[in-house]
Amino acid sequence: MLSPIQVLCSDITTLSLEPEPFASYTEADIISTVEFNHTGELLATGDKGGRVVIFQREPESKSEPFSQGEYNVYSTFQSHEPEFDYLKSLEIEEKINKIRWLPQQNAAQFLLSTNDKTIKLWKVSERDKRPEGYNLKDEEGRIKDISTVTSLQVPVLMPMDLMVEVSPRRVFANAHTYHVNSISVNSDYMTYMSADDLRINLWHLDITDRSFNIVDIKPVNMEDLTEVITAAEFHPHHCNLFVYSSSKGTLRLCDMREAALCDKHSKLFEEPEDPSARSFFSEIISSVSDVKFSHSGRYLLTRDYLTAKVWDLNMESKPLETYQVHDYLRSKLCSLYENDCIFDKFECAWNGSDSVIMTGAYNNFFRMFDRNTKRDVTLEASRESSKPRAVLKPRRVCAAGGKRRKDDISVDSLDFTKKILHTAWHPNENIIAIAATNNLYIFQDKLNSEMH
Amino acid sequence: MIMKGQKRKHPPEDVEVSDPSSPTWESQRQFVFSVSLNKYQRGQELPEPSLRRSVLIANTLRQVSREARRVPSVDVEVPPPLCSSSSELQESTLTGVAPAKPPSAVMFSNSHSALVSCPVVSLNNLSNCDTSRSPATCHLSALNVPLSVKDEDEDWGSMSTDSDFSLSAAISSILTALDSTIDGSPQAAPRTPLRSLENLSGPSDGGVAWGKQAVRGNGGSWEQQEEWRVPESSVEVMRSSFLSELTVEDLFQDIDTSLLERDMGVLGLRGSGGGYQAGDDLLRYLQPFSSSFPPSNPFSVSLNQNLKCLPSFSSFCPLSSSSSSLPAFSSPNLVREGLELEHLMEILVES
Repeated sequence: MLSPIQVLCSDITTLSLEPEPFASYTEADIISTVEFNHTGELLATGDKGGRVVIFQREPESKSEPFSQGEYNVYSTFQSHEPEFDYLKSLEIEEKINKIRWLPQQNAAQFLLSTNDKTIKLWKVSERDKRPEGYNLKDEEGRIKDISTVTSLQVPVLMPMDLMVEVSPRRVFANAHTYHVNSISVNSDYMTYMSADDLRINLWHLDITDRSFNIVDIKPVNMEDLTEVITAAEFHPHHCNLFVYSSSKGTLRLCDMREAALCDKHSKLFEEPEDPSARSFFSEIISSVSDVKFSHSGRYLLTRDYLTAKVWDLNMESKPLETYQVHDYLRSKLCSLYENDCIFDKFECAWNGSDSVIMTGAYNNFFRMFDRNTKRDVTLEASRESSKPRAVLKPRRVCAAGGKRRKDDISVDSLDFTKKILHTAWHPNENIIAIAATNNLYIFQDKLNSEMH
Repeated sequence: MIMKGQKRKHPPEDVEVSDPSSPTWESQRQFVFSVSLNKYQRGQELPEPSLRRSVLIANTLRQVSREARRVPSVDVEVPPPLCSSSSELQESTLTGVAPAKPPSAVMFSNSHSALVSCPVVSLNNLSNCDTSRSPATCHLSALNVPLSVKDEDEDWGSMSTDSDFSLSAAISSILTALDSTIDGSPQAAPRTPLRSLENLSGPSDGGVAWGKQAVRGNGGSWEQQEEWRVPESSVEVMRSSFLSELTVEDLFQDIDTSLLERDMGVLGLRGSGGGYQAGDDLLRYLQPFSSSFPPSNPFSVSLNQNLKCLPSFSSFCPLSSSSSSLPAFSSPNLVREGLELEHLMEILVES
């Protein structure tokens, strides 16, 4: 995908209503999660205001070849509302932390969306036909005068304008004391797990009043707490395996067959600390912000503050590959700690064939690493550089004071308020979705549409 | 993010300054420490702090404190790690509060109780009070509720404010250092220089570790009652020793102790007798330090040298009235430490 580096921007879709480039946005418009469904036909985004917007890919049509693959808004709904916890006098944010699609089993689509405390299952269904020709009601629904009915007819289904209906089917509430950071649907398509800072619960999709606690790392005395859970995911094929990451940079693979409570891990993935690279911030930058199984199920991709690592499930001692995402920040850790940027949680993504990994960075940059060729590229998601059909230009960050080529950007000029935390890759094709604050960018590699 | 009265500095860059002997390391360590402390306190003030963030900041604070102790330039013997110092304190509370110990024992239990109430409460709030009925949480939430156990409980509960806690923490740490030196063991860590601030960093740190340790030592039954009992016995012993009263009062003569008064009152520490020479001597040493301190030195949290001057009290205890045995100190260090103490107090009082 990366060579030649030609990523075509096929569409820019913004969630804010004003299309002007410099329209101000409200905080509620900040996108907080992005997720393709299992076929890639639908793309869901969640924002800080609790809304979910689903995009659908336009089917290819011969008449308009250039509209192939464009994503347009399919449905918008309010998933979560702000709540108030009366017991603790705390407000519960409506921000959508994660969305996960269920594999499609019938005509409707299902997705799970979660805020800090409550997970909801939504059914997304289409209605494009409606019955017409009732005997007792007229077209507007008014009851007919029986005396006017002279013959009986069978109502027929007539096509109508497509209507997308979204309805909440399940609400999984009151199971988390701490903030939910991950949800993951199991490969058995019947259960899913939700993880907060200290616990992981296993749910059945049909049962909302009960969940099993499968991981609990809460110490007896909270004063002893030194580690929290940062992300969790089920294995894509083995319904008994899941992995969770911690703020200390460790990954634990657990097998639910071993015990009801999976506090004891089956495998512990941890890279020994490099003593020469030790600093005051070693622990903070080692905190894993995202973990993703590869599609094959053989590898794990993790993201910590400065690197992305690929782990082999069979090797616990160290990662298979380590990719420096923005090592130029290593000398800036002090400032980044002061302005809190060091706590940013970046997500990471695999491509469909597990050959390329992608993750976001600052200044609206995102990075892609080809695992086979070892080549990498830095691209920018911004309005200026992303006119429709434009080719994205690779960017380069140079160290302050270093030799600077044209178009390079110096480390000191990076905008740390523009961070790309959420990215998603189409499951089969070279299409990526990048969330930059309140804007969603969708890029497509037109030349190399197929994965290789 | 900037401490009051402190000039804003460009944060020291660290190009992998992992070498403690490098000159920038210390300044960076101090910077990180102060920033972490600020962040942690600010985080605690939020209605719902992020647990991950708080844990990371607390761990960083702990690490920075540990590093400070490791550094040879700061003149400290390798101090015992946090838990052992906690157990040391626990011992001091439990092993019959000997006459020589009262000041620290009392203050320990004073601050210890306050610490137990405050930091644990705050961390529990942080953790969004579990609905599960674990003893720790029971204990904590009980603190916020008027207790029928003792009248004092309500006092403690209401005093569980950050400022009280901070002050008590600082005080207790200084006095426990005093205590440990009074113990007579030469290696009894001049209490680690950052002890007081570790306690500040609070719930996840030394302060409540003490509570936990002491509680365990007390037999682990309904923890509440055990803790409250400790101050009582200490008060008894304390009252019989004028040394302690004077020590405490004089030590903090130049520090706003209005918040302390309540604590003191409860423990009967008020109304100390005439100026005990030991206390006066200490003050004479402390005061000049603060005024003559050159402004160019960065805020340093190593109170070690300060604590080292406290051992002078051990030579006075319990019956000695001579003030002549105060050891000679190297003044630059003490000067610095003196200002550090003052800065520390400033920050704590404000917060």
